[in-house]
Amino acid sequence: MIVLVIALLVGILIGLFIPISIPQDYSSYVAVGLLAALDSIFGALKSNLKGDFKIDIFISGFVGNTLIAMLLAYMGDMLGIPLYQAAVVAFGVRIFQNFGEMRRSILIKNKSFSKEEKNQ
Amino acid sequence: MKVKIKKPTGGQVAIAILLLVLGILMSMQIKSVRQSNELKNLEKARAIELAEQINKLREENVGLRQQIYDYEKKIKEYQDSAASISKTTELLKEELDKVKILAGLTDVEGPGIIITLDDSKMPTQPNVDPNSFLLHDSDILQVINELRAAGAEAIAINDQRLVSTTEIRCAGPTISINNTRYSAPYIIKAIGDPKILKNSLEMRGGIIDLLKEFSIEVKIEEASKVVIPRYTGSLRFNYAKIRSEGS
Repeated sequence: MIVLVIALLVGILIGLFIPISIPQDYSSYVAVGLLAALDSIFGALKSNLKGDFKIDIFISGFVGNTLIAMLLAYMGDMLGIPLYQAAVVAFGVRIFQNFGEMRRSILIKNKSFSKEEKNQ
Repeated sequence: MKVKIKKPTGGQVAIAILLLVLGILMSMQIKSVRQSNELKNLEKARAIELAEQINKLREENVGLRQQIYDYEKKIKEYQDSAASISKTTELLKEELDKVKILAGLTDVEGPGIIITLDDSKMPTQPNVDPNSFLLHDSDILQVINELRAAGAEAIAINDQRLVSTTEIRCAGPTISINNTRYSAPYIIKAIGDPKILKNSLEMRGGIIDLLKEFSIEVKIEEASKVVIPRYTGSLRFNYAKIRSEGS
């Protein structure tokens, strides 16, 4: 877990000190891609917790979700409909769902541990 | 609580790499969003600055106009004192006053009419061009033409004196008169015989009849005293020169 936090912090630092910023025109695509990545990470954390993590599912989900989200955003731009909102809503909902499941499984685990400790 | 430091699993490594990428992208995105916000603020600040400049210039303009009035008053005093010197100067002064009225360089008053023209208040109907229910520069020009033909001696639209260089031009939704834009309603003041002016406008089949057909609001008032301000712009002749006799 600590490794993950460190990785995130290092990433943020690298991003801050790289003298490149994303061009205005691609800003919305990157934002949607970020959301897809965040969703994948929550999904991965959840499955890691449950113990059924599979690296191929994780990577394909991450790449696929990001691409589809960006495609939606692009299509929305072409059609004049804010289609990226569909990605925002879908990923948002899934992030909350994954977080809920993680919360629940962690809490249940802790509770069963403390019960066992009491019993011992 | 016991925390066991486990060796990171393959999954955790993958997530860690992804988090790294996420962090980089996220901070880059935040930077670019912040930049665009700064740009927007800059534009806003620029607009405010320009508005302030306009206000300042307007105030300056008012001051300068006041100065013009003061100088003109002085000139008039000199002219009056010069006129009392001899018969010739008196005649010259009379001639000057006449020319000034003609050129629109002095405030004038006298009997006349006040015409108020406004766009049609009728709700727009389908299949009818809404443009025909609005006042156009051509409508105003026709009214002015009619007034001139009926012997109007001085005319002003929304207190803009009509002089020889005055334009009445369509400027989008407004009409430009003496390079100043006005929107409806238009108040046209004219000095002349009120009866003749009014009758010429209300001639059957005349301009007012035509305007009323498009339900444009027209109000004509006869007045025993109409005040028409002078032309406040500058008259500059760069090309026209007085032709000297025999050349």
